[in-house]
Amino acid sequence: MPRRSQRSRSSESAQLFAQRVLDTRARVAPLVPEVSDEDLLLILQSLLRPIGSGRRFFLWPTESGLHVP
Amino acid sequence: MSRDELFLAELLRALEEAKLEAIVVGMTAAVLQGAPVMTQDVDLLIRDTPRNREKLEKMRTVLGAAKPAEVSPLSKPLVIMGAALPVDILFERLSGGLAFAGLRARAVRIVLSGRTAVVACLADVIKSKEAAGRSKDQAALPILRDTLRVQEALKAQAKGRK
Repeated sequence: MPRRSQRSRSSESAQLFAQRVLDTRARVAPLVPEVSDEDLLLILQSLLRPIGSGRRFFLWPTESGLHVP
Repeated sequence: MSRDELFLAELLRALEEAKLEAIVVGMTAAVLQGAPVMTQDVDLLIRDTPRNREKLEKMRTVLGAAKPAEVSPLSKPLVIMGAALPVDILFERLSGGLAFAGLRARAVRIVLSGRTAVVACLADVIKSKEAAGRSKDQAALPILRDTLRVQEALKAQAKGRK
């Protein structure tokens, strides 16, 4: 597949995902007033992304002793 | 799949090959249920039987890791090092009086690469961290509690639609 077409599909799916997060936030925010808007966005971005879809959640050790995603 | 998911898939494969029944607990369990946090290792809870000690040995061989070592001379948990990431092995129960059978009964099942992970439910992860009371657990509790609230709100909403 041409690279430009791949990029455009990936951007389209990112757009769809972002819209899904925003729609869900609009629905659920009134039910969880104690959760801040920022945290709600972070939580929904994780909750709505199934495991196996490229999620990253481990901090990996590096030779310098730091841990990085 | 990301390398994080690949490592988890490899761990599930090792558990399956060793026929070792384990529950994913701790922060990895929280992450698998949507908590926006990161962690440096995987915690597994198993029953403490001689047979499981043998299976543990098989599992670490499949992972190509070192023999399990004591986390400290005063504690029972073991750590398997030498795999891509450390795997902590806990036995029988978690802080908060959470025993293996109860945790398994309330656990959620998450499929990755065709294998099923048995994962402690978020409410149990929170309960164990509240009881453990370590400062790193205390720091994570607010976002874990918020994730549980959101999870429950989404479930209630889905139920209301049916």
